Amino acid sequence: MRKNIKYAMILLTICAVSAFALALTNSITSPVIAQMDADNRLKALEAVSAGYDIGEQKEVTDQAFVTYVIDLKKDAGIAGYILGLKTAGYGGEMTLVASYTAQGEMLFAQLLTHNETPGLGKKAEDDGYMDKFKGTGDSKPVPTNKTMLSAGDAQAVSGSSVTFTAIAKAINGGSEYVKSLGGVK
Amino acid sequence: MKANLKEFTKGIFKENPVFVIVLGLCPTLGVSSQVSNAIGMSAGVLFVLLFSNIFISALRKVIPASIHIPAYIVIIASLVTIIEMVMHAFVPAVYSALGVYLPLIVVNCIILGRAEAFASRNTVLDSILDALGMSIGFALGITLIALIRELFGSGTITLFPVGTFSGVINIPWFINNPIRVLALAPGALLLMGFLKAFFDWNTLRKKDR
Repeated sequence: MRKNIKYAMILLTICAVSAFALALTNSITSPVIAQMDADNRLKALEAVSAGYDIGEQKEVTDQAFVTYVIDLKKDAGIAGYILGLKTAGYGGEMTLVASYTAQGEMLFAQLLTHNETPGLGKKAEDDGYMDKFKGTGDSKPVPTNKTMLSAGDAQAVSGSSVTFTAIAKAINGGSEYVKSLGGVK
Repeated sequence: MKANLKEFTKGIFKENPVFVIVLGLCPTLGVSSQVSNAIGMSAGVLFVLLFSNIFISALRKVIPASIHIPAYIVIIASLVTIIEMVMHAFVPAVYSALGVYLPLIVVNCIILGRAEAFASRNTVLDSILDALGMSIGFALGITLIALIRELFGSGTITLFPVGTFSGVINIPWFINNPIRVLALAPGALLLMGFLKAFFDWNTLRKKDR
């Protein structure tokens, strides 16, 4: 009994010291990480804004893929929308931002956070990955299956079908949501 | 001094963790699709292995044998979480490149294996030398596999971007004629098998002499 209490106390001490070291590291790194995330998000919004003015963010809670919507304004009118999207990839949740015309055609998209496999699904971060979805969602359907892609694009997503399908479904869901907003206001 | 040096050099070739002891195969196969990932993973393993060996060796007379595993796991998991937070905050490019493999260092057999087999029975100095040697051995193994996989599987060599250099070197001919299977998981297993066979053959050849 005494031996067990001794073992428990040793483990408790190791855990307490570890928890203190973790708390100390977290207190130093978390403000830096939060600032970096905010900067990245701002950069991503500017990158997908297509030169339009970025409006206020409104939360969306009743959609499978859309988490927030931001109006893209031109001459006091709404030219389109930026949507915050979330979807489930191979490594868990992925978040992205995508801009659409008011008719639901995707303009630009950028991956924000993910845990996809390096060398495979992680390629979704690369410049040009989202080009295969550009201009789709209105007259042209969003490619939600590899068979809807050109041979070159299908080869590029080879080995990472789960990531591709997850992103495609989110972009398609975003397009449908924009269409449900009723076009140009 | 010579004995200390032996603790350092053994991990590089004679007891190479990848090709001889065959430890840490999960990250070796998973991360070796690009050279930059292999280098980042090696840096993570070096940090965690070095500090876990130091702590475990220093506490070897305090931690009883019956609670080795839970104590080691807490120490290793804490070190990995610390390195993850520090990398995320201060070297986000490497953090992003390593992705899911960084937290997986917790269950990297090299870390726990060296803690149990070496650091818990040896002095802090020897444990530091063991960690350095094993880390270099791991880095050589995983980088060699990554170099072959990326060169033949994708026709590129990916390093880290510096200034105007994007970090990706396109290798003429190979980029247009990649052996795709090498870039995928089965290719990693195949290559690992061939390299292990080569190292075993080389060891046996030396013994025969």
